[in-house]
Amino acid sequence: MAAKKFNYKNALEEIEGIVQKIESEEVEMDELTTMVKRAADLIKQCKSKLKDTGQELENIIENLDE
Amino acid sequence: MEHLSLFTLNKTIGEALAKNLEPSYWVVAEIGEMRHNQKGHCYLELVEKEDDKIKAKSRATIWSYTYRNLSGWFESLTGQSLSAGMKILCNVTVQYHEVYGFSLNIRDIDAQYTLGERAKRRQEILQKLMDDGVFEMNKELNLPIVPQRIAVISSKTAAGFGDFMDQLTGNEFGFQFDIQLFQSTMQGDQAAASIIESMHQVFSSTDDFDLLVIIRGGGASLDLDCFDSYELGSHIAQFPLPVVTGIGHERDETVADMVAHTKMKTPTAVAEFIISGVRNYEMKLEEHFNTLVNKLNETIEEDISKLSLLSFRFQRNTQKLLNEQHLILNQREQTLKFGHQNALKFHERKLDELKYILSKHPKRLVQKQQSMLDHLDKELNVLDPEQVFKRGYSITTVNGINIHQLKQIEKGANITTITENLVLESTIAKSKQRKKS
Repeated sequence: MAAKKFNYKNALEEIEGIVQKIESEEVEMDELTTMVKRAADLIKQCKSKLKDTGQELENIIENLDE
Repeated sequence: MEHLSLFTLNKTIGEALAKNLEPSYWVVAEIGEMRHNQKGHCYLELVEKEDDKIKAKSRATIWSYTYRNLSGWFESLTGQSLSAGMKILCNVTVQYHEVYGFSLNIRDIDAQYTLGERAKRRQEILQKLMDDGVFEMNKELNLPIVPQRIAVISSKTAAGFGDFMDQLTGNEFGFQFDIQLFQSTMQGDQAAASIIESMHQVFSSTDDFDLLVIIRGGGASLDLDCFDSYELGSHIAQFPLPVVTGIGHERDETVADMVAHTKMKTPTAVAEFIISGVRNYEMKLEEHFNTLVNKLNETIEEDISKLSLLSFRFQRNTQKLLNEQHLILNQREQTLKFGHQNALKFHERKLDELKYILSKHPKRLVQKQQSMLDHLDKELNVLDPEQVFKRGYSITTVNGINIHQLKQIEKGANITTITENLVLESTIAKSKQRKKS
């Protein structure tokens, strides 16, 4: 499947969904690893996105003063 | 028959007259005819009329020497030369010549009488015109603001007309005039009728003209009697266009002058009057134009200073506005700089929280399952029959039925008991109900 464009909001909602499921203990043991892995992956992507966004904003703001 | 020669008779008549008459008489008479010969003598016919009928008539002479003095003096006093139709008071001696017969020799003329006569006649005409109610009529017309279409009644060959034309066409301001000449006789008996005829011609195209000018030829002759005509005065007074006269005399006004809208002394003066009217209008226009230009300049200057003020205020306010906006932008920039960091931190914290939950919670879930499994294992251990056998318990069945499911067992019945190591077959000797504590 072609890499879907990363969407922070959707990613965050998915992570929160997973966390909610895990907290409510509804989760099937068989799915647990898969879900945690998915959540960890999404968190990683979100953090990367935050970092990139931060960098980009710094650049933009720096250019403001020119 | 006794008789006289004609000469003797004539001589006797002459002597009788000389004897009986005064040396001279002052006589009032009208000049009927008048002529001069080459030697400068003047021959006249004096008449007295009553209702246009000749009542008396005499030949008269003024010898050249007397005539030169008299006529010059008479003209200088009356503004008129001696001419036919004129009423005079003259000093005469009665003469009788054997060949030429009876005649009067004029030795002096009282010019004051002629002046008085003329003034009297003029006064009568004026009174009649006033009685007719027409005297002021032409004066009541309005002069056109710019008289440019001018009808002229004059004699084409006259010097006065030439002066008038030169003055008008050569005016220093370059004004253009549309001048039409209506030819007329300007002196003598026929003048009044001729002028009236010309006025009829002008009247038939009144709309083509702004003004009627009546100018006289000028020159040596100063015969003005025709302008003291009642008929001419009446026509001028009632003419529908303003009439300006320039009859060319200095001393007194004729009837024509008095009823005309405006009287000027000479044709040149009439031209100047017309030009000055146009010039006045032009000057008024120039004045209005200058006023307009000044007003415009004032308005423009006012507008310029208004604009300058506006421009200044605009600049000042714009600068103020720009400064304000600059400040706001700076504030926003600061907010943005730190705000985005805050937002990022917020998200980071949230992600960290989620990560923490994810790092802790699944483990706990696994541990919980683990302990549940352990518990189950323990329970399973407890329930295992082998374990029960080991702890000393046994299982008894009757005909394959677990003994604890039975309420009673008959005596002699066979039971099977299984222990850890043995299978026992027994027969029931006795059974009774167990009392539970």
